[in-house]
Amino acid sequence: MAGFILRRVLLLLPMLLGASLVVFLMLRLGPSDPAMDYLRLSKVPPTPQALEDARMMLGLDRPIMTQYLDWLGKAVRLDFGTSYATRRPVLPDLLHFLPATLQLAGVALALTIGLSVPLGIWAARYRERWPDHLVRLIAFIGVSMPNFWLGFLLVLLFSVHLGWLPAMGRGGLAHLVMPALAISFMSLAINARLLRASMLEAAGQPHVRYARLRGLPERRVEHAHVLRNAWLPVITAMGMHVGEMIGGTLIIESIFGWPGVGRYAVSAILNRDYPVIQCFTLAMVAIFMLCNLVVDIVYALADPRIRLSAEGVE
Amino acid sequence: MFEVFRGAARALVRSALFAGLSLPSILAPVSSPAGAAEGPDLAFSWPLNAGPLNPHLYSPNQMFAQSMVYEPLVRYRADGTVVPWLAASWDVSEGGRVYTFALREGVTFSNGEPFDAAAAKANFDAILANRSRHAWLELANQIVSAKVAGPHLLRLTLKDAYYPVLQELALPRPFRFVAPSQFVEGGTKDGIVAPIGTGPWVLSETSLGERDVFVRNEAYWGDRPAYASVTVKVIPDPNTRAIAFETGEIDLIYGTDGPVSPDTFERFRSMGERAGIAAALSEPLESRVLALNTNRGATRDLAVRRAINHAVDKDTMIATVLYGTQRRADTLFAPNVPYADIGLAPYPYDLEEARRLLEEAGWTASGDGGIREKDGARLSIELCFVGTDAVAKSMAEIVQADLRRVGIEVLLTGEEESSIYARQRDGRFGMIFNRTWGAPYDPHAFVSSMRLPSHADYQAQLGLADKAEIDAMIGRALVSTDEAARQEIYRDLLTRLHDQAVYLPLTYVTAIAVARKEVGPVPFGAMSSEIPFDRLAPAAD
Repeated sequence: MAGFILRRVLLLLPMLLGASLVVFLMLRLGPSDPAMDYLRLSKVPPTPQALEDARMMLGLDRPIMTQYLDWLGKAVRLDFGTSYATRRPVLPDLLHFLPATLQLAGVALALTIGLSVPLGIWAARYRERWPDHLVRLIAFIGVSMPNFWLGFLLVLLFSVHLGWLPAMGRGGLAHLVMPALAISFMSLAINARLLRASMLEAAGQPHVRYARLRGLPERRVEHAHVLRNAWLPVITAMGMHVGEMIGGTLIIESIFGWPGVGRYAVSAILNRDYPVIQCFTLAMVAIFMLCNLVVDIVYALADPRIRLSAEGVE
Repeated sequence: MFEVFRGAARALVRSALFAGLSLPSILAPVSSPAGAAEGPDLAFSWPLNAGPLNPHLYSPNQMFAQSMVYEPLVRYRADGTVVPWLAASWDVSEGGRVYTFALREGVTFSNGEPFDAAAAKANFDAILANRSRHAWLELANQIVSAKVAGPHLLRLTLKDAYYPVLQELALPRPFRFVAPSQFVEGGTKDGIVAPIGTGPWVLSETSLGERDVFVRNEAYWGDRPAYASVTVKVIPDPNTRAIAFETGEIDLIYGTDGPVSPDTFERFRSMGERAGIAAALSEPLESRVLALNTNRGATRDLAVRRAINHAVDKDTMIATVLYGTQRRADTLFAPNVPYADIGLAPYPYDLEEARRLLEEAGWTASGDGGIREKDGARLSIELCFVGTDAVAKSMAEIVQADLRRVGIEVLLTGEEESSIYARQRDGRFGMIFNRTWGAPYDPHAFVSSMRLPSHADYQAQLGLADKAEIDAMIGRALVSTDEAARQEIYRDLLTRLHDQAVYLPLTYVTAIAVARKEVGPVPFGAMSSEIPFDRLAPAAD
């Protein structure tokens, strides 16, 4: 098991390196000119001289590979450069905004698990009856509706019309409810359906039928025999959802004025603020890969068959 | 394993209960920020934090905030005049090259340091030590020296008699003053210690990504602002800003660069009085025009350029695309721009006149889709715009449809911003979007740039027979010391450009203001970068 984890962790490094190169090149091979954006932000007329000065100041006048190696050399020492737009170092600002994002994504994840599991069980238990139809409807809405639109609808109802919840900003629990729900809604809808399908599949297995034949109480059959097998696909999906949630904060934070990494990144994208975009993208890649790693480990712990095959036992 | 879920469910129930219990606190109104001075707070919003507020540097310093904390020697007024500010009066030498400013006495920085000639000179020296950064501004190239001529006398010496000295001194940056004790390594180009200015507001709190709080400068030499503090919340998204206004998180929306979308502004305006909302548009601040290339393609023909001016229905364009948030432009500069109120006759919207002009010039309708031709050449013009600018795209489509009706084909080219600028520089366009620079740059700095080959204006004018003469006139206007003579030069210049139809003026860009009734009347700043917080006062009731 330890060897498995170590191998996976070591594999992260070349993947991060590759991702950094792709991101770096994709940004720079596009037709846009960050020097132009810098001048626009500065409200300075973009004369050729001003453009040239801005390019020199931002280090854009050098060959791309020189820029990349220079950036990489600093990045491995955790220096991700200075934002073009704010002229502040990128990493400290990113870390400043990160707790707010983790709080939001954490609550969204809790909502996803806390709502999707009971809904999934409920739908499976009352298959093809009204609870199942209701969950199906929720799932249908959840996967069809973009999270930012749901965000605006929630604001319209709870802030503008009813005045119950604050429309924006970071504060107490009241500030968290709407953005967290907007981010998690799609994931929880998918998860509930996934758990339902997976439970129904497990329920048809011979060992479950045998358990029922033995006269075990229905609740015990459901918990010990159905759920235990059904939640494996859900774990896999969860790994994806964590990444989706942190990605989901991008737009949602902008809508709810939530001072997190997502909003920082959106502003950076609009301003073509390369150093911030690079640092943010790499952080996202790292988080995605770590989540997948954690999922694999949990998976191995949860299912002895996987653990044993990873350890080479036939 | 179900324990995990049961635990999660319990946690969920707990948090739901907690949410229920805390409902009263949720319903409580938003409190005012801590640490504010006694009196009302005004909540405003801006897409970014105010920045380090170095008065002598650019982005990320936000101009509206620099203008709150720092003050100029002279102030630019909406009518185009310049009035005394930190300088109580000034003398100009015979040749117009030496300016002696008598500084207002008794002015202190917000930390108590005196503002005197020594402090002013130190600031000018700090600015000139970084001259290359300010080279885009002619005054920065013109100043030879700043000298102390007395405890409250500052003397600026220029290379030439450059008339717009006072207009450029009034800009939000770089010619404003920070307490010299805040310099870093004897200057400001590497940063400042703290933003200490003479202005009516003092930055009291900055929270990255959340807000900046400005409190009233209690030792301010001028009129004391009625608001005790201004809280500027960081809201990048225009829709979120609109919602924040509707839910009372902010009291005021103000700006020129689309602080809310035109349709949202229209919605607030129609809600109007009964919802306790006042929505207003400023006087014209700058012009949005299409430059017509006199040196390339069909627009080389004066008749075509004039026909274009007659054929575009600007009123409908403003009503539909802009929801009435801008005004119709009939001339390159709005009449409220200095020297520009010279009674030029607009080209009225008149399709028949447009068709007549084209017929007379030999552009006749052919069978092929009604597009005119002359000597085998098709009347087809390329219109270039920044592809991501939704408003420009809509306007371009309207121009395309309108010109089609008189037999002119318009090919739309939407490209990256940098590609569009490249086209402006080398003249690869038939028609291209362009904006004047706004007060106090209009008209002098804008016409000055018409002489530079890197500008769309230069390229567009290149086909005029009198281009060389136009450039010489601009040079004369900038160094003329006689007001009447300068007015005559501008009259001649602007009349030529208008008669030659080098531009299709589209709209005058305005600032918008949306405020709750309690905020009181909202005056507009003379420059688009200035927000007159110090002149706001809460409504009496």
